Amino acid sequence: MGGLQKKKYESGSATNYISRNKARKKLSLSLADFRRLCILKGIYPHEPKHKKKVNKGSTAPRTFYLLKDIRFLLHEPIVGKFREYKIFVRKLRKAYGKAEWSGVQRMKENKPAYKLDHIIKERYPTFIDAVRDVDDALSMCFLFSTFARTGKCHVQTIQLCRRLGVEWMNYIIASRSLRKVFLSIKGIYYQAEVLGQTITWIIPYQFAHDHPTDVDYRVMATFTELYTTLLGFVNFRLYQTLNLVYPPKLDGQGEFSLKSECEEDYALESESYSEKLAALSASLARTVPSVEDEEAELDHFPAEGLNTKKKKKKKKKKKNKKLFEGLKFFLNREVPRESLAFVIRCFGGEVSWDKSLCIGSTYDETDETITHHIVDRPTIDKQYINRYYIQPQWVYDCVNGKILLPVEEYFLGVTLPPHLSPFVEESEGDYVPPEKLKLLALQKGEKPPEEDEEEEEEEDDEDDEEEDDQSEDEDEAEDEASLAEMEEKRAQGKSLSVKVTPGKVKPENRMRTEQEEKAEEKRLAIMMMKKREKYLYDKIMFGKKRHVREANKLAAKRKAHDDANKPDKKKKKKKC
Amino acid sequence: MAAVRKHKRVAAAQPGFLPIKSSLDGNSSVIKRRKRVNKNKKKSWNRFSDIQDVEEFLDDVRLQERATGGLIAEKTDDTLFFVDTGETDEKDTQEQTTVKKGKHSKPLRIDLILQPDSHIQAPKNVLAFQQPNAKKQRRISERAAKLAAMGVLPRREKLLQLRSAAAASGLSVKEHPVANNNPDRAFYDLWSAGTPETADPYYLEQTKKKLVKRPDRLNEKPSVLPAVEVIAPGGSYNPDFFSHQDLLREAHEVELKKQKAEEKLARQLAVNEDKATEESTFKEQVEGLIEEEEIEPQEPEGDTEDTVMGPTATQEKKTEKQRKKEKAQRIKDLQRKVERQVIDKQQQLFQLRSISASVKKQEQRTEMRQAQRKVQQEAQKSMPRRLGRLKFQTPDLDVQLSDELASSLRSLKPEGSILKDRFKSLQKRNIIEPRERARFNRKYKLKYSEKRAFREIE
Repeated sequence: MGGLQKKKYESGSATNYISRNKARKKLSLSLADFRRLCILKGIYPHEPKHKKKVNKGSTAPRTFYLLKDIRFLLHEPIVGKFREYKIFVRKLRKAYGKAEWSGVQRMKENKPAYKLDHIIKERYPTFIDAVRDVDDALSMCFLFSTFARTGKCHVQTIQLCRRLGVEWMNYIIASRSLRKVFLSIKGIYYQAEVLGQTITWIIPYQFAHDHPTDVDYRVMATFTELYTTLLGFVNFRLYQTLNLVYPPKLDGQGEFSLKSECEEDYALESESYSEKLAALSASLARTVPSVEDEEAELDHFPAEGLNTKKKKKKKKKKKNKKLFEGLKFFLNREVPRESLAFVIRCFGGEVSWDKSLCIGSTYDETDETITHHIVDRPTIDKQYINRYYIQPQWVYDCVNGKILLPVEEYFLGVTLPPHLSPFVEESEGDYVPPEKLKLLALQKGEKPPEEDEEEEEEEDDEDDEEEDDQSEDEDEAEDEASLAEMEEKRAQGKSLSVKVTPGKVKPENRMRTEQEEKAEEKRLAIMMMKKREKYLYDKIMFGKKRHVREANKLAAKRKAHDDANKPDKKKKKKKC
Repeated sequence: MAAVRKHKRVAAAQPGFLPIKSSLDGNSSVIKRRKRVNKNKKKSWNRFSDIQDVEEFLDDVRLQERATGGLIAEKTDDTLFFVDTGETDEKDTQEQTTVKKGKHSKPLRIDLILQPDSHIQAPKNVLAFQQPNAKKQRRISERAAKLAAMGVLPRREKLLQLRSAAAASGLSVKEHPVANNNPDRAFYDLWSAGTPETADPYYLEQTKKKLVKRPDRLNEKPSVLPAVEVIAPGGSYNPDFFSHQDLLREAHEVELKKQKAEEKLARQLAVNEDKATEESTFKEQVEGLIEEEEIEPQEPEGDTEDTVMGPTATQEKKTEKQRKKEKAQRIKDLQRKVERQVIDKQQQLFQLRSISASVKKQEQRTEMRQAQRKVQQEAQKSMPRRLGRLKFQTPDLDVQLSDELASSLRSLKPEGSILKDRFKSLQKRNIIEPRERARFNRKYKLKYSEKRAFREIE
């Protein structure tokens, strides 16, 4: 046997990895700087497959990085900036120690700063990549913007986060791309569709902060630094796609300047503009006057079936986007203003609030054209007759249901129906809560099977005629919708009612025979199965049935629960 | 100098020249006997030539210059003589003016004594007036003048002009890099197609300013989990009864598991139940004293038995016969084995079906295992990896109990912290490694002592 004896840990995985400390030394950075660099550049630690080999025989748990990644980091120009900053801090400390105030001043003026633009470009080579990854950035920005300015992080960071968050919300409003909202116990989840990408983010409730001690604020601040830069560039590009002016400007400035007498109460002159933007009550200025979308879609070809389906979907979507169009909301002071204003404006509604609540209110409570007044207290003293007084959940449920839900269940002092999560996608055979079933039925345009409601309405008949009118209107609308639905079904070839007409006998027969044939085939196939396959098949079928059985059980339970609760509810209502 | 000297000599040679010390003339007329010396060496020239007359003459010239500021012979008559016309009134007027001036104008006598009385100006210090690098600087200035004439300004001048122009227009030329968290920072279209390569790529490469291409591998995410995980439907502020129960059950199970683990740990760490009682301690103290007699005699016996452990070296040698026998046996065994194998092979022909069945079975098993492994790998992709000293700890589920649920949005009390949620999400997605807050460990105990001043007050 010839050749040199191979030494251990000189090739293979041992040389592909590098421990964190070694990497840090190789870059000659402090640990904090190294961590920051890794976050900014998107270099993550890696778990080796064979730790003992990588760790040169030791089994001590360590953080490893891929050596190639670290080599890549060596080329980063920011590394030099980090070192510069270190020297800067040292000099500054020295100057402070020697009380050389002019020197301190001069150094502070020449503070080294670095840019992240090239890193963003590098990590997200195309705009769509950036949009796809904006979830994290949004959540972080909205989170940081709610922080108190008490020194947990830089005040400037908070301000920047706030600015970017407002810009994003304004974009969502302008593009009408909000899809789902979910009020959870943690915060408010939003989902929007931006340029074909679904983007989910969470916004904390206002004033809900304790600062957990087990979170590394420095790491979070670094992430925020990266994400604010990313979000800024994304916002700019998004504004461009809609021909909006960036930085955002309010449309119809003259109107606003007239009402500016009471603005001094809210904000300094320098800040009032950004505050007005943050109020979300006015639309933004465009670089090019907006063209009506309808005109663009005039030329459609009604011939193809597939096309029409798509078109229907599109139409539905468009209708969804204009859910609140023509409605005028007024927010009472106890409801979450920002969230509601955002959601309502996203679907084309008009919204205002009390002048003393926040800057940017557009009309007063006394306005006669207000259709919905959102209140979150059991009773209200002064009620106007021509508007609905509803609880805030109605808005969110409407958005999730994609239709205007009947308002009766959301009146003041009424026990609300549960707020269902729009993020749950039920597959076939799952248990579906009855509220959702009702919603689905409403979406299809059917009249909800509500015995209780009708009884109550009869009882309440004398109280408000208007409401009745409204419900009648709704009924009509629903009738129309159901008609449309029937037509649609007919077009698809499903039989609604059994009608024996000579012309249609044959196709139906063919269908049935086809189905029968299929069933027969399936039965034969089952018969022909081998023992082992049969066993598997049976198992699968059993599992499916069990699933259904469980769902049925849950439904029955729910029914029992409801039945048990019903008398109580009725009593309560009668008392009211 | 030479010219001056020559001039002096010429002056002295003239017939009208008046030497001040007339006595010297008389001495010079005495003629001495000449001594004969070699004149081929400079040394001897200096030594034996008589230069006294010349020196005397030069001394006289110097004296004249010192005393009068030039040769007397060359002076005009006006400067040497004046016409005495008796006393005038001027003296009185002069006195009056001097008196008026007072003491201040009169110089001190000591100063007058120290005043140089020579009429010759002191020679200037040449070095004091010399400029270092004068030639170079002259050349530089010449060059600058030439460039200025051509219209080219030096860099400093240009910068100054720029700065003054900027100050006039109100903009700052020197671009201080904007901090990343500046709330008013501007953004631009980062992804527009026309981002210009500002310089020649070769130049950038050579000056190490070209950015290294990011490997595609780095753009893959370390986990398949979504960035924002939406809470279960039971986490709604006004949840559906069943989904809320589901969430509660889930949380309950997590709690149970935790409790079980804790109990197990407690059980393992529990101290043995039999604690020391009075009786047991007494027994322990007495133990050696009572039963010693019974134990002692047994010990030596045990010792003797223990010593005969392990193999002994006294194995007997095998005889020739034995060896042969063993060898034959070995060969026989081997032969039998080979025969058996041949027979087995023949028999396998008849076992074909069962063999094929077993092969099939094995294949199936490997396939199943492959599938399993694949599933496991898929599941691993969404699992938090072990990235450091600490394992990822799943955060507690955020749950509100049935009686904690808010009746309206207004009275909702948010649960949990989103900051922590985000932080944990980053850890879960393997973006950062789980870490512990570095604890402060004091190496030495603090020593407290009262200050003297404090003690004095007491």
